[in-house]
Amino acid sequence: MPAAIPSTSESRTPSVDHFTMSILLRRFEAIIREMVNALFRSGRSGVLNTAMDFSCSITDARFQSVSVAVGLPVHVGAIELIPQAVADRFGDAVAPGDCFANNSGYHGNTHCADFTLCVPVFFRGRLAFYTIARAHFADMGFPTPTTYGPNSADVYQEGLILPCVRIQTDYRDDPAVIDICRANIRSPDQFYGDYLACLAAVRTGERRIIELCEKYGDDVIEAFADEFQAYAERMAINAIGKLEKGSVTRTMHYDSELEEYPDGIPVTATLTVDPDAAMVEIDLTDNVDNVPLGINLTESTTLACSRISVLNALGPDIPRSAGAFRRINVRMRDGAVIGRPVHPTATSAATTNLCSAFASHIHALFAEYREGMGSAYAGIGLPGSCPVVSGVDPARGGREFVNQILIGHWSGPAVSGADGWVTYGTGSSQGMLWQSSVEIVEQQQPLLVERLALRVDSGGAGEWQGGPGSEVVFRIDQSPVRFTINAAGKQHPPPGVAGGKPAVGTVVLKEDGNRNTIDLGVSVDVTLNPGERLLSYSSGGGGYGAPERRDPERVRHDLREGWISAAFAQEHYGVAPDEPDDHAGARSDR
Amino acid sequence: MHIAVDVGGTFTDLVVHREDGQPRGYKSLTTPADLTDGVLEGLRLVADDHACCLSELLARTKRFCFGTTTATNAVLEGKAARTVLITTRGFRETLLIREGGRPDSYDMKAVFPKPYIPRSLTFEVTERIAYDGRIIEPLDEGSVSEAIERSRQAGAEAIAVSLLWSIANADHERRVGEMIEQALPDMPFSLSHRVNPCVREYRRTSATALDASLKPVVIESIRRLEGRLATHGFTGTLSYVTSNGGQTSTREILNRPVYLCFSGPSAAPEAGRRFSDIESIGGGNVITTDMGGTSFDVSIVTGGRIPMHREGTIAGHVFGVPSVEVHTIGAGGGSIARVDSGGLVHVGPESAGASPGPACYGKGGVRPTVTDANLVSGSLGDTLTAGGGVALSRDLARAAIREHVGDPLGMSESEAAALIRVGCEQNMVVAIEDLTVKRGVDPREYIMVAGGSAAGLHAVAIARELGIGTVLVPPMTGVLSAFGILTGNISFNFGESLFTTSARFDFERVNKLLASLERDARAYLERMNIDERDQRLHYTCEARYADQVWQLTLTLPDRRVADAAALDTLVEAFHCLHETRYAVRSETDPVEITEWNVQAIGQLEDVDFPELTPDDRIATPIGRRRSFLRELDTHVNVPVLQGERLPLEQEFEGPVFIEDPLTTIVVNPGARVRLSRFGSYIIDLDA
Repeated sequence: MPAAIPSTSESRTPSVDHFTMSILLRRFEAIIREMVNALFRSGRSGVLNTAMDFSCSITDARFQSVSVAVGLPVHVGAIELIPQAVADRFGDAVAPGDCFANNSGYHGNTHCADFTLCVPVFFRGRLAFYTIARAHFADMGFPTPTTYGPNSADVYQEGLILPCVRIQTDYRDDPAVIDICRANIRSPDQFYGDYLACLAAVRTGERRIIELCEKYGDDVIEAFADEFQAYAERMAINAIGKLEKGSVTRTMHYDSELEEYPDGIPVTATLTVDPDAAMVEIDLTDNVDNVPLGINLTESTTLACSRISVLNALGPDIPRSAGAFRRINVRMRDGAVIGRPVHPTATSAATTNLCSAFASHIHALFAEYREGMGSAYAGIGLPGSCPVVSGVDPARGGREFVNQILIGHWSGPAVSGADGWVTYGTGSSQGMLWQSSVEIVEQQQPLLVERLALRVDSGGAGEWQGGPGSEVVFRIDQSPVRFTINAAGKQHPPPGVAGGKPAVGTVVLKEDGNRNTIDLGVSVDVTLNPGERLLSYSSGGGGYGAPERRDPERVRHDLREGWISAAFAQEHYGVAPDEPDDHAGARSDR
Repeated sequence: MHIAVDVGGTFTDLVVHREDGQPRGYKSLTTPADLTDGVLEGLRLVADDHACCLSELLARTKRFCFGTTTATNAVLEGKAARTVLITTRGFRETLLIREGGRPDSYDMKAVFPKPYIPRSLTFEVTERIAYDGRIIEPLDEGSVSEAIERSRQAGAEAIAVSLLWSIANADHERRVGEMIEQALPDMPFSLSHRVNPCVREYRRTSATALDASLKPVVIESIRRLEGRLATHGFTGTLSYVTSNGGQTSTREILNRPVYLCFSGPSAAPEAGRRFSDIESIGGGNVITTDMGGTSFDVSIVTGGRIPMHREGTIAGHVFGVPSVEVHTIGAGGGSIARVDSGGLVHVGPESAGASPGPACYGKGGVRPTVTDANLVSGSLGDTLTAGGGVALSRDLARAAIREHVGDPLGMSESEAAALIRVGCEQNMVVAIEDLTVKRGVDPREYIMVAGGSAAGLHAVAIARELGIGTVLVPPMTGVLSAFGILTGNISFNFGESLFTTSARFDFERVNKLLASLERDARAYLERMNIDERDQRLHYTCEARYADQVWQLTLTLPDRRVADAAALDTLVEAFHCLHETRYAVRSETDPVEITEWNVQAIGQLEDVDFPELTPDDRIATPIGRRRSFLRELDTHVNVPVLQGERLPLEQEFEGPVFIEDPLTTIVVNPGARVRLSRFGSYIIDLDA
């Protein structure tokens, strides 16, 4: 699959009238929302049913994403690689009732823990569409109970791989595939429940598309799909045409635990905007070779982050779909840490760690290209408050559990015009993940959350201030719990842009029963016993613009609300606190 | 005589049900400064119409039921009380972070919403309870006293108390409540385990914060209304419509004002159900829509029952108590159409509102709206009957449509007008699907009751898109919610959380709890003077498969879960429900139940509609309007019929426009319309 799809929009006249366009656009959006709802409500693990770490998409028979997918940017930005893999592997040997499972970074998937189902949708005997559901599973059978494996040296240290295999034939499970999964994945019942939730999504989508084809005719539907791409492409062309010609190269560094990179792993990208050709190019060929860690990006995540970050800079009106992607040329290199990995490079943390730094990096390139565009850097990696936890639960008859917790995943990057979105997370999720309820966390696994609070002074100062990080304390209640964490942003916290300051970095600590603390670094695999605590301090987001330009009213507000200290206000903004009772009567302050 | 009032944003609607059984609707202007002024003004209209004075009218009124935006507006406009939140130490951010997520992932410049109660008014107390109710850290009363004192110093007008796991063990929350009562005897406060006993601290805390903040406002507003009605001689019962669509006494409302969220619109599905009953069509499956100038509301009734949900939000804050699911989108006559740079037309959510209003009003609006499109496409005549005879300018409407839609797309004005209509109708179709298809409900098994002044203009087109066979435009279409309030039952909910699983079902505690909820519900109905034969209890639980975290509301097959066989029936009912909703069932998984609820219903007497008299009726058109019909891809001179004077039960084939004082009905080609003997327009569509 080429990174840039050649344009087809010039030569073609629209074959679908405006009425049909309006109607079918809404129909497809409704179908995707229905798929999302089915998955969300029936999923079993916290990552699905609380955090919404999944996405649903539809492509046509030529793998063009139809309408707009719903889900995490890193999930949906290169979804065409999934049906492409089905076609590459199975050719014409695909029939109604088939369903394919794929979690292989070498077959177009994002990373090992993203379990992706793809159903070919047939109408009158012809393959017309694909429905796709991709969900982050709580476990994929890694050697250690994690779903990221930031320190895996190669694919053989990662989880079970399903390299685009047929998991259903004639709407029935292939027992061999299910048995292999159940034998390799921790909490097999939870796995099967989550598989059913994904299946509910793709089958619901299939049913609705067939109904749509029956009502409007498959030729009209397919013509719509083409016209939609042409529309998305026109929107992108118009947006790029308004920019000035220019090019920016920038390098940032990502926390490294490797000897070769004592100062961090460099992330380099060149942004080139060509308004005359209406093209944006992201050149990634200058990046270093694959590293023996799980943080290497896959083709899917490299493409997705590049495309979505560019479209974020171009504005909210452009559909995030194949037509718009044609205007973005991503140049990548085989065997580069950001690019296309060479087998057997490990990629199990390809959606989070280096990936999240990279996604923010493209936003930052735009901030440098023209002030007002892009954003500062968001959180990098997952904070200590988003661990994969495992163990046995004495309250549930000694049952084994494994789950990812998602709380305190904040660290929003400042943009020109707004402070960081508090619950943003990282550049790969962009605020689309939901945060777990503390009560649900405690109901799902045997531990106590003792604190979930904002970390004062942690966001980068700036005209627009980075969002705060979080402070979270887990206490082990009655039986040991193992934590695996793939944090980052400690040595190299999220930078600010356009004169904005960097955020305060990530810290993960263990506290023993006597209140002594040990710094656990960023790649953590530790078992804590009753009475012990895990302390997570996540980084904030970077600031945008020079701090001295910040509106003093905003500074005073942050002081009143306790987001920043008096010392921070004085140091960065030269603003002193209010008189203590100054805010009495602020009734409408909500 | 019974009187129902629905105080909306613009109009105060009244429906009066006289002893002779003839309900009648009235409208007066809403008076935002003091809503009771508008209500009394409306009552004077009613009195005039009955040739009596206000006090005579009120002396004859036995029941006065009230739907009000008091609570909704107080929240939307930030005018609720200055409220403090007291919460468990370490968890001050619950209202700030809500549940995460971002409404629009494309919009990088979105501003993070503010919490309902600011952090500076959130005080922590030292205590901790575990998920199973164990006390991990006892309540430190010193920290409570300190929080109460800080609340006083901060000028608190109300206090919300929400502690972690108070649903598993409410001792600490109750104790905080007692200490507030002792220290600040006049301070209104709300405890989370009483307001919304659900798991998930955000939802419970948000409902509690709303509830507490509404108490001073609602107390004041109820006292004022009671006082002014009493001054004018009213001695009957005053009741309020709640978010669950039923009516309840002021006593319940004063205790839990959060139940006033969506009071008013929550009564619309009840109106839909009544009209489908009166006409004996639909078999209890009704989609009720209400379309006005700025918003479009949808709700459904299935098998005669109005489904409830627990996820109601107001201005982005979850209020969480059982409520009628009324889905509202910004789509109406004022919705503005625009074409983006890629050539796609968008209709709404931006609205021209009442000022400047649509271009055709001639009040300075230059952008084309749905009303302009209806005028240009011939659906509307040159005067807006429902707006009190406002003259509309066809030229201004044409110019706006030409400039902003027609020219950019290279279409004629009439085609562009039709396209705007389609864009608007699609938004409405999606709103209806969100309540039906997405929940596993097939809209083709429903009829549609269309309310609101703009109801008739789009109802038939929407029904066709959804495969709905029958549209009913009722005689009370302009005051639909007020009619629903009049005919709504007495109703209130009694619930408590109690976790159990089908693997180890706690028969004893469950049945004890159900008995206790049943006692509360019966006592309530007694207090509301409901005869035993008119009392109904509806038992539900919140259920899910093991490891799921989102519950489905499951109707209990029986009032108790008596034995293993009863449990099997319950579990099977859950499998069926899950399969309907999500296409899969999981036979081998245990079913977990987190909450038990009893809804107390007191049935009130039916409202009968007298039959219309068959004489003095005409079937000949009063005129014709040239209209572009997309179905036929051509212009047609469509006949206009005078609705009120149509011969009864006689069918007319579309295309035809029906002019009624309250609305205009567009009957598309392929549909047939008749005026029923009870005064509803019934439109049948070809399957």
